[in-house]
Amino acid sequence: MTARYVIGIDLGTTNSVIAYTPLDAEEAAVQILPIPQLVAAGTVESLGSLASFLYLAREHESGQGTLNVPWADGRDFAVGELARRQSAEVPERTVGAAKSWLCHGRVDRRGEILPWNAPAGVPKISPVTATRRYLEHLIATWEQAFPDAPAADQLVVLTVPASFDAAARDLTREAALAAGLPGNLLLLEEPQAAVYAWLDSLGNRWRRSLKLNDMLLVCDVGGGTSDFTLVQVAEEHGELILQREAVGNHLLVGGDNMDLALAYQAAETFGHKGVKLDPWQSVSLWHACRTAKETLLAADGPNAHTISVLGRGTKLIGGTVSIEMKRKQALEVLVDGFFPRCGIGDRPVRRRASGFQDIGLPFEQDTAVTRHLAAFLSDHGAKEGAAVQPTHVLLNGGVFKSKALADRLIDVLGQWAGGPKPQFLEGKPDLDNAVARGAAYYGWAKTRGGVRIRGGTARSYYVGIETAGLAIPGAPRPLRALCVAPLGMEEGDQADVPSQEIGLVVGEPAHFRFFSSPLRKQDKVGDVLSSWSEEELAETDSLEATLDADEVIEEPYVPVKFQSRVTELGMFELWCVCTKSKKKWKLEFSVREED
Amino acid sequence: MRLLLAFRAFWVVLFQGAVAGRVKAVLDQPALPAPAPEPVKASAPTVRIEKPKPPVRSDAITLLATLQREARFVDLAQESLDAYTDAQVGAAARDVLRDCRKVLERLFALQPALSQDEGSAVDVPAGFDAARFRLTGKVAGEGPFRGRLVHPGWEAAKCELPAWSGSEASARVVAPAEVEL
Repeated sequence: MTARYVIGIDLGTTNSVIAYTPLDAEEAAVQILPIPQLVAAGTVESLGSLASFLYLAREHESGQGTLNVPWADGRDFAVGELARRQSAEVPERTVGAAKSWLCHGRVDRRGEILPWNAPAGVPKISPVTATRRYLEHLIATWEQAFPDAPAADQLVVLTVPASFDAAARDLTREAALAAGLPGNLLLLEEPQAAVYAWLDSLGNRWRRSLKLNDMLLVCDVGGGTSDFTLVQVAEEHGELILQREAVGNHLLVGGDNMDLALAYQAAETFGHKGVKLDPWQSVSLWHACRTAKETLLAADGPNAHTISVLGRGTKLIGGTVSIEMKRKQALEVLVDGFFPRCGIGDRPVRRRASGFQDIGLPFEQDTAVTRHLAAFLSDHGAKEGAAVQPTHVLLNGGVFKSKALADRLIDVLGQWAGGPKPQFLEGKPDLDNAVARGAAYYGWAKTRGGVRIRGGTARSYYVGIETAGLAIPGAPRPLRALCVAPLGMEEGDQADVPSQEIGLVVGEPAHFRFFSSPLRKQDKVGDVLSSWSEEELAETDSLEATLDADEVIEEPYVPVKFQSRVTELGMFELWCVCTKSKKKWKLEFSVREED
Repeated sequence: MRLLLAFRAFWVVLFQGAVAGRVKAVLDQPALPAPAPEPVKASAPTVRIEKPKPPVRSDAITLLATLQREARFVDLAQESLDAYTDAQVGAAARDVLRDCRKVLERLFALQPALSQDEGSAVDVPAGFDAARFRLTGKVAGEGPFRGRLVHPGWEAAKCELPAWSGSEASARVVAPAEVEL
């Protein structure tokens, strides 16, 4: 059956959104689909987004109908707003930020590890399963609304952070296919999706907004993560085109950190008044602080805002305590705390924790978004000491509803440029839904013809090769990195990696250490690096393949070379090709915990 | 027996399209193989027949529960105000009212029933809908009328209340009892 709609899915760390557009429309007409979800026990309401939280219920709850959704009865879990509320009240039974776990290389992402640190007796699930359940919920939502257009038959575009490496993309795809999305599912980088949403909102007028060689910085600060991307305006056959130049690292700092920072300040003020808040009140303070942030940091924000924590129990008025938060104080905590003025040469401060370190999510130690941005722009400069100077900025994420933060960002960029400040792109972005909208528009533009962002892979990839030579007892053999895919390898490209033959043992799994770099643009396929800094080359999940002994292979060793390719769907693949028989084996990511 | 079946089949094929298709498929087969036992699929999705459920819970309770859950409206309305100063009541009410408004906005998208500004002159047609207009003052004759808009009224642009799937026993619970362990 041919697809009738494009479904764009923004699978967010804290919120997920579905947008869609009919494929046969002359102009893309992207709409947001409301998502029915449990908001309280036994209560289903349709909301504009799905909270990406999962609540693992107690056994008896499933039989009472309180966790029923319109398409399934007797569930022992709940996804959405109810789960988000439970995450504050019953944290050891709720899973949050599954997406951040998906790209966390030090844990087994198919293993049942979430909720992290949950006590014995609580059911656990894997980050992949949690992701699958969110997607199943979104698919069920779609099929309720469009019963005669099954999701598996539509063109589906799912967004992932630009900083997701090949293994995290593979896992996302695995969860998506298990949830029932079609095999021709497209993955799109979130900041690119935000740009597509902008293109959709402007139509052909975008060519008047940008000119040749303009450099666009997409700054996406979500609830829990921040993501940067650079897009350059280039020319081809006399037409302006967009080229994705660089993507940043996955940063675990976002709007939630800001609300918490403000809540921490407020809690101190309450403390001075002799009011000690219990955990439940702390959560409601956190929510009150989100409102305070948006109010105080708005364009014409008041000079002060009252933050109240309502009394627990039925003594609501009697138990209510309030403090006044001054605008000046909020600006100090949020603007100076998260977007401090800094030099372009500054780098994030890293404090090495000594001794035992928990393996939990690697939250950023430096919460200064501007310092991370400075490092990103410096790293991608044409040469040492010459950082990239964006001419335009596109903001995404609810954080930028606070105008003071957006203004500070532009100020700092202007200071770095030493010349005119970069401009915000024309128009008013839909900060919460742009990624889903852009995903739907991308699917439409890809099918119907429209401007596309070029870019290819955001990273170059390397396989670790141990050098032969005399083994020194106790010392590892020196490691070299063989470049198997250059940065910017495009969809549909394939490359035979020139290298020496590598002997694989038949019948035993062969492991390869695997590295990637968002920085090394100069490397070509077949280049061998003998030294590198930890910052430019990061080791990710290892790759493995098992060559089965069959009639084709008679020898115990098979000589192979590597072949890399990027599929039409944008998935990176690495193959071993036998130099004699030309038989091929695909290498798979080994995302289990290393022994 | 066969005769009876043939007659039944005749009527069913005539009036039930789905069965007709199945019968045609059977007839189109060259020869019927011996009926093999139906293979049992382990994970075959069971078809759930939608039966109309009686409304277990009144929408009014659901609205009340929503206002309580998100804005603590019931707590505020139920509390005796005698012991508190205006400032204390105001401090609590500010948050409750703000959150109540969010709920009303989301569920009903309230807007004025009449778009003209308060205080401006408006026309009321003859034979007006008494639910839409309330005339005060000296009302004489059948209209049309012209007067000053004192209150533009409210109208819900939508009505999207949450659906309830809980048990009959708890259908009247507006807010659950909270117990900390």
